[in-house]
Amino acid sequence: MTKFVQLLLQTLTLGSLYALIALGYTLVYGILRFINFAHSDVVTFGAWIAFAIAGALGWASTGSPVFAMPVVMVLAMAASAALGFTIERLAYRPLRKALRLNVLITAIGVSLLLQNAGQLQALFGKDPVKMPRLLSEAPLFKLAGVQVPWVDVVLVVLTIALVIALQWLVFRTKLGQAMRAVSWSEQTAALMGVPVDKVVSITFMIGSALAAAGGVLYGLKYRQLNQTADALWMLLGLKAFVAAVVGGIGNVRGAVLGAVLIAFIEVFGAGYVSSKMPDLFVFGVLIVMLLFRPAGLLGTPTVEKV
Amino acid sequence: MTAAAPVAPLSVARPAPALAAVRLAKSFGGLKAVTDLSFELPKGGLHGLIGPNGAGKTTVFNLLTGVYKPDAGAVHVGGQPMTGKKPSEIAQAGLVRTFQNIRLFGDLSVLDNVRIAAGVRARSGLWRSLLRTPLYLREEAEIRARARQLLDVLGIAHRADEIAKSLPYGDQRRLEIARALATRPTVLLLDEPVAGMNTVEKKAMRGLIQSLRAQFDVSILLIEHDMGLVMDICEQITVIDHGVTIARGAPASIQSNPAVIEAYLGVPDEPAPTAGEIGA
Amino acid sequence: MSARATPGVAGAALRSLYPIVIGFTLAYLMQTVVAVSIDDYYSKVLIDIGIAIVLGVSLGIVNGYAGQFSLGHAGFMAIGGYTAAAIVYYGSIKLFGTKAIYGGSLGPGELLLCAGCVAGGALAAVAGWLVGQPSLRLRGDYLAIVTLGFGEIIRVLIKQTDDVVLSEKKVAAASWWSLMDNLGGGFGFIGGPRYIDAKNPFWVWLFVVVVCLVAYRLKYSNRGRQLLAVRENEIAAEAMGIKTTKAKVSAFMTSAFFAGIGGGLYAHELGNSMRPADLGFQKSIDIVIIVVLGGMGSISGAVIAAIAVTLLPELFRSFAEYRMIAYALALIIVMLLRPQGLLGLQELWEVEWRAVGRSIVTAPARLVRWVVTAPTRARAALKAAADRRQEDRS
Repeated sequence: MTKFVQLLLQTLTLGSLYALIALGYTLVYGILRFINFAHSDVVTFGAWIAFAIAGALGWASTGSPVFAMPVVMVLAMAASAALGFTIERLAYRPLRKALRLNVLITAIGVSLLLQNAGQLQALFGKDPVKMPRLLSEAPLFKLAGVQVPWVDVVLVVLTIALVIALQWLVFRTKLGQAMRAVSWSEQTAALMGVPVDKVVSITFMIGSALAAAGGVLYGLKYRQLNQTADALWMLLGLKAFVAAVVGGIGNVRGAVLGAVLIAFIEVFGAGYVSSKMPDLFVFGVLIVMLLFRPAGLLGTPTVEKV
Repeated sequence: MTAAAPVAPLSVARPAPALAAVRLAKSFGGLKAVTDLSFELPKGGLHGLIGPNGAGKTTVFNLLTGVYKPDAGAVHVGGQPMTGKKPSEIAQAGLVRTFQNIRLFGDLSVLDNVRIAAGVRARSGLWRSLLRTPLYLREEAEIRARARQLLDVLGIAHRADEIAKSLPYGDQRRLEIARALATRPTVLLLDEPVAGMNTVEKKAMRGLIQSLRAQFDVSILLIEHDMGLVMDICEQITVIDHGVTIARGAPASIQSNPAVIEAYLGVPDEPAPTAGEIGA
Repeated sequence: MSARATPGVAGAALRSLYPIVIGFTLAYLMQTVVAVSIDDYYSKVLIDIGIAIVLGVSLGIVNGYAGQFSLGHAGFMAIGGYTAAAIVYYGSIKLFGTKAIYGGSLGPGELLLCAGCVAGGALAAVAGWLVGQPSLRLRGDYLAIVTLGFGEIIRVLIKQTDDVVLSEKKVAAASWWSLMDNLGGGFGFIGGPRYIDAKNPFWVWLFVVVVCLVAYRLKYSNRGRQLLAVRENEIAAEAMGIKTTKAKVSAFMTSAFFAGIGGGLYAHELGNSMRPADLGFQKSIDIVIIVVLGGMGSISGAVIAAIAVTLLPELFRSFAEYRMIAYALALIIVMLLRPQGLLGLQELWEVEWRAVGRSIVTAPARLVRWVVTAPTRARAALKAAADRRQEDRS
């Protein structure tokens, strides 16, 4: 029973991380019908910039004030939003009308650039670092014999808060309405007076900010930050992408649902089936999903006009 | 006196129509795109399918060519059932189309566009092609010759080496027809062949379409909005609106059919500056 | 019948296969003349170029001709490489009793190498068939992700294998079936005889010729044009009667076959590491870069790009840290300014050189004009933007 609850808790925390990252993928895909390959690198950037900010503000060692975490988080999210804006403006906007394949290749290029530039000595360097303990790992409460640390609670609560905020934004504000209009039809939205370029930029910024939140929380939970080109980051992003696809890419609720599902498969698969190849399960799910229900669980299938 | 037993009608052997649709139906979600559509295109015939925009005409083409699977009904090409088959199978059986929004192989040359279609029934597979066997070389020569001949007939032979997407609009439409003809079809579906053309171009197209039947032994079904052309060259016209057949018959009867006039009034696109197409 | 038929058959056979004869000759010359007369270092670079050509041209078949963007080419390379390594290493022990290089040029050891590479290619082709199946339902981005996933799955699976059996006695006693699981795991396949080195590039050049020949003959054939049709407009291709599913799968299989051969060659080059970590997504990207820069669908373009991509890191060794950054920027800039790459679908001999010459000659004049008119154009653009903002407000 303890093991079950343990795994459940792991599912929640991992699922939260995947959800934050998956939302970025799904928002961008919803607006532009384009898989932002470089998204996982914004996650990495978010984590590393948080580390750098914490260091710069003198909170690298233990004994940092309570408000350290929120400050670092907000600054990291802002920095990542700026990065997302820059990427969109310079690399993706000029290709708005180009073949989808060309944009994909550009995205791969941006991803490689971020990964490898991040490793330069001038920036983040090649050595893995340890994220300062801005969130306590002390247990907050006990559930069915399992210690639930502060970190986990903050992680899940913060994710839920951000998801609710995003839901509110997309479904109850004018901006959200504009975003949904653009995702239905860019042309029509433009004809109706929606400033498409601005909406796209803002969407990228929001997605990047969420990605950064995911990265920072990942860093705070798992503490070890590997160099930016490490496969670990790409795997994290890829799994979040699978989550977005499973839930129905382009669908906000789907991203969250998919994230929890993927985390569940990964955690319980490793716990009960085999701990050797959890990644394989996730890839397998992706391929099965794309073959049999590419629109995902909550998505609507699109038909190409002949 | 006992009632006479019903006499079975004399069954007369009748050649199968080139193309037959039997009670086709297709819905998308809740929208009934096509309902109970039937028609027959006899061998050598030239028929028209008209209706206001959104009536479902291209959907009918898509059903006939296998792009969509009909929810109900059947499609027969030359008497052979083709319902639910893949588009490539239906094309191999002889039913080939052109597209409303031109779908050429844009980055390839004009000649290649036609050669590709001319080679769909070639027997040489990968190995024979790589080894350049005599059979392969013979087939290649035949493909090239037939392609050039078609470009000649369609009047675009002088553009053979140009890139398809750089062609002027009218020539692109001609290329699409040349390409379709290269597959040696028995039935040719033309989706708005003169859309976007001026009067001179349309006149040339009109003559071309009519000559195709004799020259290439094809039966033709066309979708068009230009009433002048349709009334002029089609032997029989089917009118649909919202997926339902509202009239069928010879041009004269269609023109005076009140249901048609009510649903869709088209005027020949001739020089007189009369009303354009209402409901288009 | 026979007296007249034989010359016909012989003539046809000659016409089919004469490029292979040329290939043998070229490879032989590369080995006996070139390899001995130049420095070992240059010879090795040439070998690396050759393998890059094999990998790049093979990727061009599926990415370029068929237009199916595959990001998992390294997976096929790995399958071919590991299969060849296992066959050569374990086969050497079982057949010749030694794991060292056996026999001389074109001797039994090298023939085993050739067989291993071909077998590796065949197995990779089977994998290509497998990967081709999802391609039937997926387009563009999604297909790329699935092929990426496939490459990673291969890498993970190979990492799970057991260590290479080092004792020759144990190998001789074990069955082939059990040895299939001993591919080196995370450490990679070590200990195999490395037949290909600076003095022995024969097989690389032979396969380079074969790949280029196949790619060329495929491109200019009916089947090849059908692939191009699928790339250009799949719906129209299907509507004309092309069996697009068969075409796409066939492209995957052919491409994978030669990637497997490339992997087999790579595995037996002295100095290469055969660790699964080196045959993952990064490697796939390295090959994709060749094809994107050279032009997706151009054989000569891939050759030129392969040369550039292999040579430049050698020339700029001191800037090794910036290699990937340079490649990344190259990808982005190419996509923004010249998405067709160097040659697009054209071959070197199809380019309109006169037009190119003209544009080079007029370049300085055009550049001057561009600079001189820049202020006027900038002013016009700013005014247009200001006007638009005015309109939005009103």
